[in-house]
Amino acid sequence: MIRVDELVKTFRVHRRPPGMRAALRSIFKREYEIVRAVGGVSFRIERGERVGFLGPNGAGKTTTLKVLSGLLHSTSGSVEVNGFDPRRREAAFLKGITLVMGQKNQLIWDLPAAETYALNRALFDVPRAEFDATMRELGELLDLESLSTKPTRQLSLGERMKCELAAALLHRPTTLFLDEPTIGLDVSMQVAVREFIRSYNQRYEATVLLTSHYMQDVTALCPRVIVIDKGMLIYDGDLRALIRKMHPSKLVSFTLSGPVAPDQLERLGEVVSRDSGRVVIRVAQNRLRDVVGHSLASLPLVDLSVEDPPVEDIMRQLFSHEDGAPGEEGAASGPSG
Amino acid sequence: MPSGRTASPALETWRAALRAAPAMLRIGVAETVAYRAEFVVWMLTTTLPLIMLGLWTSVASEAPFARFSEREFVAYYLGALIVRNLTSSWVVWQLNEEIRRGMLSFRLLRPVHPFFTYAASHISAVPLRSLVAIPFALVLLFSSAREILVTDPLLLVVLAFSLLGAWLVTFFVMVMIGSVGLFVDKSVAVFDVYFGIFAVMSGYLVPLALLPGWAREIAAWLPFRFMLAFPVELAIGEYSKPGLGAAAALRDLAIQWGWVVLIIGSAVAVWRAGIRRYEAFGS
Amino acid sequence: MSSLARYARLFGVQVRASAVTSMQYRVDFMVEGAMSFYWLGWNLVPLLILYNQRETVAGWDFPSALVVIAWFTSLRGLIEGAINPSLLGVVEKIRTGEFDYLLLKPADAQFLVSTARFEPWKVIDIVGGVGLAAIAFVMLGRAPAASDVALCALLLFAAALVLYSIWILIICASFWVVRLDNLIHLFNAVFDAARWPVAIFRGIWRILFTFVIPLALMTTFPAMAVLGTLDAKSVAFGLGGALLFAAASRAIWRRAIRSYTSASS
Repeated sequence: MIRVDELVKTFRVHRRPPGMRAALRSIFKREYEIVRAVGGVSFRIERGERVGFLGPNGAGKTTTLKVLSGLLHSTSGSVEVNGFDPRRREAAFLKGITLVMGQKNQLIWDLPAAETYALNRALFDVPRAEFDATMRELGELLDLESLSTKPTRQLSLGERMKCELAAALLHRPTTLFLDEPTIGLDVSMQVAVREFIRSYNQRYEATVLLTSHYMQDVTALCPRVIVIDKGMLIYDGDLRALIRKMHPSKLVSFTLSGPVAPDQLERLGEVVSRDSGRVVIRVAQNRLRDVVGHSLASLPLVDLSVEDPPVEDIMRQLFSHEDGAPGEEGAASGPSG
Repeated sequence: MPSGRTASPALETWRAALRAAPAMLRIGVAETVAYRAEFVVWMLTTTLPLIMLGLWTSVASEAPFARFSEREFVAYYLGALIVRNLTSSWVVWQLNEEIRRGMLSFRLLRPVHPFFTYAASHISAVPLRSLVAIPFALVLLFSSAREILVTDPLLLVVLAFSLLGAWLVTFFVMVMIGSVGLFVDKSVAVFDVYFGIFAVMSGYLVPLALLPGWAREIAAWLPFRFMLAFPVELAIGEYSKPGLGAAAALRDLAIQWGWVVLIIGSAVAVWRAGIRRYEAFGS
Repeated sequence: MSSLARYARLFGVQVRASAVTSMQYRVDFMVEGAMSFYWLGWNLVPLLILYNQRETVAGWDFPSALVVIAWFTSLRGLIEGAINPSLLGVVEKIRTGEFDYLLLKPADAQFLVSTARFEPWKVIDIVGGVGLAAIAFVMLGRAPAASDVALCALLLFAAALVLYSIWILIICASFWVVRLDNLIHLFNAVFDAARWPVAIFRGIWRILFTFVIPLALMTTFPAMAVLGTLDAKSVAFGLGGALLFAAASRAIWRRAIRSYTSASS
C-alpha cells in the first residue's frame, strides 16, 4: 500500500545563460534557481493495483518514483510505502520493492546476466530453492532461454531489457516502480514487456506504478492513471473516464467511392484529414447518431468506422492549457553534473 | 575564388579551419570553464617536477650534485614544470574516449579536419593553463634562480620558437599514439610505455646532464629532448655558457623543426591509415 | 545468516565476478604483467642515478632506499588492483545515474562501492615489491626479524587503509562536483613522492610529505619497521592515525549519502 500526502520536492539548479561573459562570470559566481519538481501531490494506491503516471517531460513523474523508492528525500510532505518510510532504506523495505529505469542498466556489462542474478540473489538473501523457482517462472514469462549466458554487451536492447527485468524481480518484490521500461524497444518487445508486467501483477498480486511515454503501455496496462503536470496532480482516476471527460467526441472515418463537396463534410463535423477517398472527421458525442445516420444515407460510402481519438490528443489537450510557454524541459531532473 | 579554378583540397582544409577557428576556440574556452574543476586537477597532475625538485634540492643542499647546485635544480625543475604545462597534450585520451564511445564519427563528419578541432580544444585551454603556471613562474623569477635565466634577446626569440616546436612535436606524437586506438584497443598502454621513455629521454625526470654518458648519447638522437629539455635549457641559460651560444641554439632549433616536420608527416600517415581501417570496420 | 558472514559471502561473489571479467581479457593480463616489470625498472632509474654518486643520502643507503621503493611498488599494486577499479567505476555510475541501483540494494553502499571491481593482475606489482625488498636484504647480507616483518605488514595495512579512506573522501566530493575522476591522476601523481624515504626531503617538503600528505606513513614507516629502525611512538602514531582517518572518512561518507539523496535527481 502506498500513501503519499502533500509531497513537495524542490531542487537547486545551476543556471547559466550562453555567451562568453556569462561563462567567465560563472567561474566566480554561480547562479541558482529553485525548481519545484513536485508541488504538493497526494494519492493512495492499494496492493495489487496497476497505476500509470502520465505527464509531459519534466512533470515530476520520475522524481515521484524516486521519492517512493527512497532514492530522493522529499522536501516536505509524508510518504509511506508498505508501511515503511522509504527514506530510511531499511532492508525489509528494499526487499519488497524494485525500481526499473529504462536505459539505465543494473546488469554487469562485461558478464552474462546470470552473474548479476547471482549477485542480486546474494544481496537480497534469496534462498536457493525460491531463487530457482522464481527464475524458472521469470524465464517462462520473459522467454529468456539462453539470454542469461551471453555477456550483457552482446545482447540487443530488447534482450537486455528482458534480463534487466529478471534481475530486478528475482527477489519477488510486491511493489514495482517502472520508469519508462519500454523506451527504445521495438513494438513486439513492448507488447511482450506489457504482457509480462500484467502476468507478474496477477500472479504475485504486485502493485505496479508505471511511467511511460508510450500511451499504449498505459492504456493496455493501467486502469487507473495519475496525471501530473508541472509538479501538480491534475487527475487521478479511471483512464476511460478521463478520455470521456476530456474529449467528448469521436473520430469518424469514411472511405468514399466518389467525390463529396467539402461543405457537405464540414456540415457533419470538423474535418481532421482528407486523403484520396479517405476522410476523417471529428464529431461531438451527442451528434454521433445523427451524423452516422446522415452519412450512411447520403454519402457514397464504401466503409465507415467510429473510433476514440488517440489518447495522445487528450494528453496534449490536457497539457496545453497554458499558452505556448516552453515547459521546464529536463529542469526538474535537477543537477546532473 | 577565381573562376574556372578550384582551390586545392589542402588549401581548402586550411581555409575551413581558419573560418571555423573563432567558434571552435570560443567553444573550447566555454568547455574549459564548464569543466574547470577537472582542468585544474589535470594541471595539478604534472607534479613529478615538483617532487623531483623537492628531492634534488634536498640532496644538493649538502653539496652540488654533478654540476647542479640547489639553485640550478630549482631553475631547471620550475622551468620543466612550466614548459610541460604549456606543451602537454591529452589527445590520446580524447581519441580513446571517442573511439570507445563511437563518437569519433561525429568528429569526422565536421567540415573541419579533426587535427584542427583537437588542436583548438588544446589551444583554448592555454589561457587557463597559463594562469596555473604563473605562480610557478613568479617563484622562479623571485628566487635566486633568476640570476641564471636567459636574457639574451636572440636566445629569447629562439626560446619562443622552441616552445612552439615543442608543442607541435608533443601534440603530433600524441596524435600518433592516439591513432593506435584506431587499430587496436591499446593506445593507453602504448602511451604508458612511451611516457616511461619520454620521462627519461626528455629530461622530465632528471636533467639530461645527470644521465650516464651512453644514455645521453641516445637522448641526443631522439626527438624527446626537443619536447622539453631543449626549451628548458634555453630558458635557464645553458646556451649562454661558454662552448655553446647563439649558433648552437640556432642549430638545435633547426634540428627541432626538422623533427616537427618528420613527426607531423608520420602522424598524418598513421592517422590516414587508421581512419581507413576505422571506416572499414565501423565504429 | 549473521551480518559478517553475509558480507563475507557478498565479498566472495564480487571477487569471483571480477575474476571472471578479467579472465575474459587475457591479452590485457599479459600486457599488464609486462607493464608491471617495465615500471618496476623505471622506478629504479632516479634511485640509481642518485646512488651512483652518493653512498648515503640523509642517512639512507641504497638497500634501505630500495626497501622504500619496494613498498611503494606493492602499495601501488594494491591501490591499482583493489581500490581504484571499484571507485573509478562508482564515479562513472554517478555520472550515468546507475549509482541509484546501488542504493536500492539492501546492503551497505560503501561496501558495494568498494568491492565492485578488482583487477587481479596487479598482484604482480604486489609480489614484485616483495621481491625488491628481498633483493635489498640480500644486499644487506641479513634477514629481517620476524617481529619486524609483522610490524611492517601492519603498517602497510594502515597505509592501505589511509589510501582507501582518501579515495572514499574523493567519491564523497564527487557527489557534488561530478567528473572528479581526474583526481585519481592527481592522487597518483602525488603518491609518487612516496617513493623516497621521507628523511631525504628537507624543509618545507618534509613538512608537506609528513603532515599535509602523510606519505611518510605509507612507505617510509613500513620500510623502517622491517629494517628494525622504527620507534614505538611512530608505530602508535601511524596505526592510530590510520584508524582515526578511516573512521572520519566513514562518517563523512554517511553524511554524503544522506546529502546525495536529498539533493540529486
